[in-house]
Amino acid sequence: MSSRRLENRVAIVTGAGQGVGEGIARRLAQEGATVVIAARRAETGEPVVESIRSVGGRAVCIVTDVSVSESVDACVANSVQQFGRLDIMVHNAFMGGIPHKLEKAQIEKHWTSMSRTGVWASLFCARAAMPHLVASSARPKGEGGGRLILITSPSGVEGSANIPLYSPAKAAQRAIAKSLAREWGEFGITVNCIGPVAGSPALLTAFDRNPALQQAIEARTPLGRVGDITDDIGSVALFLASDDSSFVTGQTIICDGGSFLGL
Amino acid sequence: MSVNVLGRGKLADLLRDGVHSDTRSAVIVVAVEGDQSISSIAQLTDAQIDEIFEQPMQRVIGALQEAHSMNCERIVVVVPTTGMSGGACYAPQAALAESARILVKSAARQWGVSGITVNAVAVEPHWFAIDPSVSGPVAIAPRSLSGDVSPVGIVNWLCSATSGDVTGQTIVCDGGLWM
Repeated sequence: MSSRRLENRVAIVTGAGQGVGEGIARRLAQEGATVVIAARRAETGEPVVESIRSVGGRAVCIVTDVSVSESVDACVANSVQQFGRLDIMVHNAFMGGIPHKLEKAQIEKHWTSMSRTGVWASLFCARAAMPHLVASSARPKGEGGGRLILITSPSGVEGSANIPLYSPAKAAQRAIAKSLAREWGEFGITVNCIGPVAGSPALLTAFDRNPALQQAIEARTPLGRVGDITDDIGSVALFLASDDSSFVTGQTIICDGGSFLGL
Repeated sequence: MSVNVLGRGKLADLLRDGVHSDTRSAVIVVAVEGDQSISSIAQLTDAQIDEIFEQPMQRVIGALQEAHSMNCERIVVVVPTTGMSGGACYAPQAALAESARILVKSAARQWGVSGITVNAVAVEPHWFAIDPSVSGPVAIAPRSLSGDVSPVGIVNWLCSATSGDVTGQTIVCDGGLWM
């Protein structure tokens, strides 16, 4: 049952047109947040908005390309103009990589999109959101609290044999989170990461094509399944976005059913 | 056998002078530019992201590929502990250090089948001109060991034949500051 823990808060979720971003947006909206669905394409973002509105939530779609700083700046400015504040910035959007051999990897083909959407975009989102997160944290207790949440991956901790250049892009996000946690602590802003393994459309499609992959992942996972984008991953984001986590910063929560236990 | 040390600065020079190996080895000192601290993320420009993170990271990828093409059996990547600890006003530098450190694990996973080991050595931030009075303390307690700490010994071992069962690891060589 919803307790409306984010009533009056405004959140931007990048990459919220599908998958983990969509799940996070839904969960934040369930708790009363006004959610900006920052999606690269309106065709994916608008249906999420309609779905959230259909159950009484508040959401808008702002088409955003996170790899372009001006686009991120415009998304933040537009959001603040419409809703008067920004409390929670969730950067989830990421253009994933394709399997490759590291010794043959090409920068343009195998690295640039992940670097731009993972590393550069994390810095873009932080830079654009910062003054508004400072303002949120300056509000009376219980009425605000700036939050930056970056969506990373267990591969950003343990490396990847399949997509080797995926891991460094995700690792950089953890370092950015720790750095900004230090830098923004004086303002009361918290900065954290989530490393999910969830049933995104991409993963479910992969399962359809290769049932053995699903069996392998479930077999190595103590909880025996992949996460639900809303109930499992969205709820961790809700914790990090809410007042409940006001003394948690610079951390990465690996939300994968216990598959990775290396921290 | 001499070791190919890729990188610039006093740390690269120290390793160039002090590291020798009985295997074909390469040492990559990541170009973390601590003298380019930023006063705040709000002042970070796109050009700085490119200069501090993107271009050095692309060079790390290229250096690993070069080491592989040279049939190196041992590859060691040297970074500051700032990637693991984070650093206020050093977000792009920390991103670079951690990105390179985790790429080591990916490389180790792919290249182990060829008998190539890839490891990281994390050293004190001062080697990269990172100012702890700006970045914040690396750890909650002071350094355990006093005096100068040199990574030459551990890099020598990681470049040697006797380290052949160790790969994908990060060895912190900072006198017991980061634990």
